Amino acid sequence: MTEIQIKRGAPAGLRTAVFLLAFLFSFPGIYLVWRNFTEDSDPLSLIGTKRILTPLWRSVSLAFAVALTTALIGTLLAWLTSRTDLYGRKVWRVILPIPLVFPTFLGAAAFIRTMNPGGLTNRFFSSIGIEQTIEMRGFFGAWLVLTLFCYPYVYLPVAARFRQLPRSLEESARVLGKSPVTTFTRVVLPQAGPVIAAGTLIVFLYTISDFGAVQLMRYDTLTRAIFMSQLANQSVALSLSLILLLLAGVIVISERLFSRVTFKMDEALIGEPLEYSLGKWRKPAFFFAAFISVFSIGAPMLAIGDWASDGIFRSTVGGRPLTIDREQVWESAWNTFSISVLAGIAAVLAVLPIAYMVVRYKSRIGTFSHAVVIATFALPGLLVALSMRFWTLRTDWAYDLFNNTKALLIFSYVVRFGSLAMGIVLVAVAAVPKRLHDAGRTLGAQKTSRFMRIDLPLMAPGMGAAAGLVILSTMKELPITLLISPLGFSTLATRIFSSFEDAFVAEAGIMALVLVIISFLLTWFLVIRRAEHL
Amino acid sequence: MALRILLSTILVTTLLTGCGGSDPEFLDGRAAEIYSGECSDGNGRSVTIYSGRTENLINPVLEAFACETGTTVQVRWGASTDLALLLNEEGDKTQADVFLSRSPGPVGYLESKGLLGTIDDEVLSLVEEQNHSAAGTWVGFSGRKRVLVYNTDEYSPETLPDSVFDLTGPEFEGKVAIPGTNGSFIDWFTVFMDQYGTDTASQWLKDMVDNGAKYYPNNRSIVEAAGRGEISMGLVNHYYNYQEIAANGDTHKALNYAFSDDDIGSLLVITAATVLGSSENVEAAEDLLGYLLTASVQQYFTDRTFEYPLAAGVVPNAALPELTALEIGSVDFDKLGGGFEEASRIIEASGILNR
Repeated sequence: MTEIQIKRGAPAGLRTAVFLLAFLFSFPGIYLVWRNFTEDSDPLSLIGTKRILTPLWRSVSLAFAVALTTALIGTLLAWLTSRTDLYGRKVWRVILPIPLVFPTFLGAAAFIRTMNPGGLTNRFFSSIGIEQTIEMRGFFGAWLVLTLFCYPYVYLPVAARFRQLPRSLEESARVLGKSPVTTFTRVVLPQAGPVIAAGTLIVFLYTISDFGAVQLMRYDTLTRAIFMSQLANQSVALSLSLILLLLAGVIVISERLFSRVTFKMDEALIGEPLEYSLGKWRKPAFFFAAFISVFSIGAPMLAIGDWASDGIFRSTVGGRPLTIDREQVWESAWNTFSISVLAGIAAVLAVLPIAYMVVRYKSRIGTFSHAVVIATFALPGLLVALSMRFWTLRTDWAYDLFNNTKALLIFSYVVRFGSLAMGIVLVAVAAVPKRLHDAGRTLGAQKTSRFMRIDLPLMAPGMGAAAGLVILSTMKELPITLLISPLGFSTLATRIFSSFEDAFVAEAGIMALVLVIISFLLTWFLVIRRAEHL
Repeated sequence: MALRILLSTILVTTLLTGCGGSDPEFLDGRAAEIYSGECSDGNGRSVTIYSGRTENLINPVLEAFACETGTTVQVRWGASTDLALLLNEEGDKTQADVFLSRSPGPVGYLESKGLLGTIDDEVLSLVEEQNHSAAGTWVGFSGRKRVLVYNTDEYSPETLPDSVFDLTGPEFEGKVAIPGTNGSFIDWFTVFMDQYGTDTASQWLKDMVDNGAKYYPNNRSIVEAAGRGEISMGLVNHYYNYQEIAANGDTHKALNYAFSDDDIGSLLVITAATVLGSSENVEAAEDLLGYLLTASVQQYFTDRTFEYPLAAGVVPNAALPELTALEIGSVDFDKLGGGFEEASRIIEASGILNR
């Protein structure tokens, strides 16, 4: 990569696209600033007060703890499933992303139902004479549940990255007599570093924005303070949200500055990635993967299965009739599936120009757009939903065109979850060697042809993982779906919410089961099957 | 290739399918309990509802209304608070004609924003005076009683107190769960402040905190935890326990306990229906509100959703705790919007949310 190429200005088309995208992605941010003015909020007066510092500290400390553990677990699992001879690794690849699909309010409730005093496992243990009394709650409970549900944010992109790393460097290291561990820490880790950092950042921001899990674990955070003041004192809620967004912006930009150093890649992709034999570690590694899955998937699935089987049992032998029928489940399942797949694709396409801008050209617009896309992830979904409604109502033509459309719903999902795709797509773009491009140009290939034949195939695994992350997250999304969807449009998540709110747990259980099955199939199709072919 | 075919199928079917389907001539399931006659032809009217009441419970009623009157009904489901915030963003441009709220707080909020229209006296007079707004902006259509849900392994009705004030005593140290952030708890606390004065109410909450009361996010999580024995008791709306029992049977070891009749802990909190000020379908909207208060719908509420009927002389389900004189409408419900803010502030300051 020569200096001249880096500094060359971006083409006008790309600049315009990135500029427009940055504008669209900043809708929630502009909305918050605007509403702070209209509500006469005074965010500055809140900064430094106990009202914000206490919950903020709780949010940030939880986010740090969760980010740290998910980084470790996610990276290790990614390594094991993509680069070693772990037992049943293809099965693990389909199973491990599943925790992403549990709506947190349901996942945390199911987890509590299984693990807490009087819960399903406790009843089992006390029947064989073991009294287990650990109660999941507070910081510990929130940390545990969020770690178990969020590690896929690191796992998925890092696994995609690991499968893509060139073997040449690792082979050289091995030839030079370095041990596998040294090779891993000195060669592999630095190359995967930016992806791990991006995933960890997402976990950090997600933890800050989470409401469902922290609420059920009774851990009082900044989102709780926002939600509680929403009706009672809207100006405070808006100020708190704006502070949250600014904090996220600062964190994202510092991460960017930090990882820029390690972001120069120009690598050759030759052959399959190197695979390591675990040797005596094969069994411990297997138990580690099993241990994580038992808690992150097994525990909630036990309660969900318990609820669902009760419902299926009732619907076959009689008893209180279910309040949902097969047709409704089918309709919601189809809606969930189709809308999330479209959102996944749209999100990847939307962040692609920004990723090109950031990687290929030194540009402030690129850096800024990237920060906007990612920082927005710290905002609770409800705020994104309200901002979308706010924007479509500003102009008559936007209202006529977009109100009650799936297009607006998909757009909202893209704004909410674009950040998930951003980091991975960035790395995917960076992984395309400049040399190949130059060779393509020399051989007279046109721009589009170069993109289709060089860039796209190389970026595909990353783009697949990116779309997968967005899809799994969209499938469980709630506030945006409820407030922005066309009237009468329901997904599995909205119906699970509706049932669960009034303790119709059998109905919620059945639909959660369907949700997990769909995510299972999609993961297999998108993340595994696609990646395998490359 | 397979991927491409799959994607184009999704795209085409998603973008092309509208809400089609022909109307059934007769209803089935629970909607048929409300109206079993033949469905009317379309009357050309339509009504759009934002419902904070959940689909499982309210949809049969709306289906029956659509079938019986021939009105086209469209619904957005959601949490009452979220929908109230959405209505505020939408202002005059909202498509909503009717807002159904699970608890009074969001209604008070919309009222303070000046977004509610006035309901016709004919509809208002279907319920007693204390169950509708003096200004005519909302009408109650079902009630939920505040109760103490308790774990039956640990307690029996004889060992439970007559009043919420007794829960601050040493025998209940560390035993009681409070849904501090829950809408109906905040509503209840607002009324508590209104009736006993802010000082008494905040002192009670402070004493509860000092007595080791535990915070839970909502009614459902308290009822579920009491059923497992994780907590001994908690202050909740009466009706969640019926659903838990129906769902989990014998393994759910919790029952409702009603405080004495005149105790503030026995308050009846009503769910309210409102018509938006911007509605252009006022007639259909008021028809719907009137329909919610008919005998068959009120009967459905008490039989199926285990709520208290408020109109048409319907007798409450025998399984429910006896209804007392104290109802939320008897206090100045219209001021609830303002009191809500103070109540939230006091609850936050009490420290209960960190327990």
